[in-house]
Formats: sequence, C-alpha cells, structure tokens
Amino acid sequence: MSVFSGLKFRKVSSPIHNLDPRVKFVYVCAIFVVAILFSEMLPLVILFLIQIPFVLLASVEREWLRSMRGAAFLATIIFLTNIGAAFFRDGYVLTAPSVESAVAMTLRFMVLVESFSVFFLTTSPDHLGLALEQTRVPYEFVFAFTTAVRFVPVLAEEAQTIMDAQKARGLELERGNFLKRIRNYIPILIPLIIGAIRRSLELAEAMESRAWGATKKRTNLYVLKMQRGDFVLIAITFGILVIAIYARLFVRIPTVNELLRSLP
Amino acid sequence: MGVIETRNVTYTYPGAAKPSIVDVSLNIEKGEFTLITGPSGCGKTTICRCFNGLIPHFYQGEMKGETIVAGLNVSEHPIYELAKHVGLVFQNPENQLFALSVEKDVAFGLENLGVPREEMRKRVDWALNLTEMYDLRERAPSELSGGQQQRVAIASVLAMQPEVVILDEPTSFLDPLSAKKIFEVIRDLNRKLGITVVLVEHRLDLTARYADHIIVMDEGKVALDGDPHEILRSEEARLIGIGIPKATRLYQILKKDGLKLGNTIPLSSEEMASMLTEALKDG
Ligand SMILES: Nc1ncnc2c1ncn2[C@@H]1O[C@H](COP(=O)(O)OP(=O)(O)O)[C@@H](O)[C@H]1O
Ligand SMILES: [Mg+2]
Repeated sequence: MSVFSGLKFRKVSSPIHNLDPRVKFVYVCAIFVVAILFSEMLPLVILFLIQIPFVLLASVEREWLRSMRGAAFLATIIFLTNIGAAFFRDGYVLTAPSVESAVAMTLRFMVLVESFSVFFLTTSPDHLGLALEQTRVPYEFVFAFTTAVRFVPVLAEEAQTIMDAQKARGLELERGNFLKRIRNYIPILIPLIIGAIRRSLELAEAMESRAWGATKKRTNLYVLKMQRGDFVLIAITFGILVIAIYARLFVRIPTVNELLRSLP
Repeated sequence: MGVIETRNVTYTYPGAAKPSIVDVSLNIEKGEFTLITGPSGCGKTTICRCFNGLIPHFYQGEMKGETIVAGLNVSEHPIYELAKHVGLVFQNPENQLFALSVEKDVAFGLENLGVPREEMRKRVDWALNLTEMYDLRERAPSELSGGQQQRVAIASVLAMQPEVVILDEPTSFLDPLSAKKIFEVIRDLNRKLGITVVLVEHRLDLTARYADHIIVMDEGKVALDGDPHEILRSEEARLIGIGIPKATRLYQILKKDGLKLGNTIPLSSEEMASMLTEALKDG
C-alpha cells in the first residue's frame, strides 16, 4: 500500500490549514501576478522566501520539499533553455546578466509551484469543496470532486487487491517488451473498471435514497466564516501587491551583481 | 392500513426475461419489527427497492400493482419525497457513504432537503449519539471499520427522521461481533424510538427474537407471512431452507423425541436455556 499512501489527505490543524480557502486562493493568485510582473532576480528571490514562513507555520516542510524536488526537473529544463538561448544570442559568450535572467525565469516557475503547493498542502479537499460551493460553483461539480477524493483510496486498495489476486494466479506484470507489458495490465484493468461501474450504480442508488435533488436551495452543515487570520492574510496580500506595483513603476531594481558589488 | 402496504406487486427489471417479484401483497403495521428472509435471489432486495420508490423511479422496468408507504403511492411521488418517510440502509457499507467526514455524511440527506443549519446540527448530533458514532464524527469513512461505516449509514438515514427504516442485509459484510452491535442498534430504534423496522436478514439466530412479524420469500413470491413463532416451527420454513434459529431446531428435535417442554417456541438460545432448566427441574 506504500505506493498509494500519498493519496490520502491527513487531517491536520494549523493556523494556515484553518484559513479560509478563498482567501488563500486570492493570495496565491496575487503571488502569481507579482511573479509575472517581475523578470529581475532580486524580487523573485524575495517572493520565493516570503512563502517559507507559511510552510513553517503549517509544518508541511517535508511535503513542501518533496514538491520542490518534483519541480526540479522542469526547473532545470527552463534554466538550460534560457541560458542556451542567451548563449547563442550573445555570440557564444555567457554574460552575468543573462545568467541572472535565466535564474530569474527559473525562480519565477518555482514561485508558482511553491505557492500552489502551499495552497494544496494546507487545504483539505473537504474545505476546498465547501469553498467551491460557497462561491456558487454548481453543487454537482463540487459533489463529483469530493466523491472522487473520497474514493481514490478505496479504488487504489481495490487495484492492489486485484493485482495481488492476478499475480497469485501467475500473471507476470514485468514480462516482455513495452507493448506486452501494457497488455499485461488488462486483467487488472477490466475487473477494476467493472467494479467501479457497479460501485457507481450503488452510489447513485444510495444518493437517490437520501433525497438527492430534492431542492435547488441546498443547505450546508458547515459555513465558512472569515476569522482574524483571514483578515491578516488579506492585509498581507494587499501589502505585497501595493509594494510590488510601486516597485515596478517607480523603483529601478538593481541586479544581484550590482548589489553584491556595492557591498563593502 | 399499515405503514407499508403492497397490493399484487409484480415487477420485471428492464431487459429481464421474467419478473423478479410476483404478485406480492403484504402489510406492515406501524411500530412493527418485521424480518424478511428467504434464499438468495428470491427478491428481497427488489421488494426493498419498491418500498422507497427506487422501483419504479430509479430502475425503470415494468411494475404492476401498487405500493403505498406512509399513505403515499410510491409511483406518484418522487424518491426524494419518499425519503422523508422511509430510510433505506444498503448491504455494502462502503458504497453508501460519499462525504469526507462522518458528520458530513450524516448531514447529506438533510442538506439535500434544505434543512436550516441549526436544526441540521441538532439532528446530526442526535443521530450520531444514537449510533454511538459521535466521538468519531470527524473521521473520514475510509478510516472506519465496516461495522462503524454501517452505523454511519444508519445514522445518516435516522437524521432524516423517517417513520420506517429498511435495512437490506446490513451485516452481510461484517464479522459476527459487529453484526451483533448493529442488531442492537436496530432493536433500540424499534423499542425505544418506536420506528417501524424492516430488516432483511439471514442470521435469524441473532434477530428472530426481536421480530414481531416474519415474511419468508421464495422465488419472487411471499411464501409465509405471519407470527415468528408460528412460522419458524413450520415444516414449510424448513423446506425453503431459511436459517431457522438453532434454539428453535433443538426445541423441535427434543419435542419430537418426547421431551416434555413448554409450548412457546424459543427463538433465542437464552429462551431455550431457561426452558431446558425448567424441564430438568421438573424431570
Ligand atoms: N438491477 C437488476 N437488474 C436485473 N435483474 C436484477 C437486478 N437486481 C436483481 N435482479 C434479479 O432479480 C432477482 C431477485 O434479486 P434480489 O432482489 O437481489 O434477491 P435477493 O436480495 O433476495 O438476493 C434475481 O434473479 C436477480 O438476478
Ligand atoms: Mg439482496
């Protein structure tokens, strides 16, 4: 089951987890916009660092590191493409500004990944569903989303059981060339799909029996209420936006190179 | 008139060659604890689906006859309206829970009905307490055992405060101990809250003692219908092959061998034990 253990969302409580997902989402979008606004290295470094307190407050360092590592491959490609392009453009020389700009592009990507991963690492699917519902996303979509999350671990377990059963009957998954290997998975896929169809019929039956679709004005057991933390985050978001726009318009942003040289 | 009444109901699933239930007429009184039993494939699940309108609304097919539940003709009322009067608990606990937490699942039906939040909170907590799931209310369903999941399913039906609760083999996926717990919860619904209970079950050893009324089905028909003591002692019941409680069988065998025993037929081992003690004292 170790392969699938990552699919389960563990319930945790932290100041960041308890924030209203809508506010968190606005924050992520603001970071996104600011990251697009700048192509200099310095502000992007700052932007990258700003999020680390969030990670620490939510104590999701390990998961965060994992997603950073996951993004490293793409980041490397972005870096190499940028630096390669500059190398050819400048006539086969590497200049300090072009290295800096390649680093900036890579950082921009990392900032995007970082802010989204902080959002998803600290927002339970339940909470997210609730936020969607209260932003007037049709309930059918929200229900499809939460039910999918609910059944991912169940289906994963079922897949594992079928796999074990078929292996016990002599199915060899790792045998043969590429096409053969894909074909090896058919005896696992078919029972899995049939099981899922049967399951969805039973689910539909149970939903109907619990008054699905009785009224358009559905109510909800929970309600999202903005709390102090949410207002703090709104203030932070607003502050970041104001500073960023001001800096963009009125400040000449030094390169890291210049900054280092100006040090005594 | 009973709280559930069917008149000559014959039903064929879409595409099926022959009807799954044939000319079923039965009557279940308010406040009764009714057991429905019979061999596998005899139409027990099908009749349960008729009781809350899944047949004919969800499974189209061809239905003849009438089903009246809580005074409503099921053909003329949508399932969601019937759901306020009849709750249905299914066999597989896993496939009737959709939400990411226990209490959210229990609230699902009430949310669908548009019940205001304060009222909903009260009813959810009430249902969770009755099924002893209150302490686990924030767990995800996948973190629960089968027995606990089935208790959540019962709670989510109870929260809608129906007059009738129907349970279709609710323990067939469970171990004997969890099954016993579920049966006790169900008994309390009937005894303490006065809810009409219809339980489909094979394990008569554990459940016959609670029943006021037994319906035995065979090949889509009602074979026997009446008082549990009368039915479980009958030769027909034995021939159909239902799981007659061991205590009842023992009583019959001892009686045939000429042992002097009382005339009330025991339905549970406790009753049998006290009867034997009595007989030994006399003898
Ligand atoms: N969804 C369905 N579609 C077609 N036939 C069905 C369906 N469900 C049950 N049947 C058939 O109806 C008959 C009665 O089944 P069912 O009511 O499930 O019996 P029981 O619950 O007593 O085991 C069986 O012959 C079964 O094959
Ligand atoms: Mg059945």
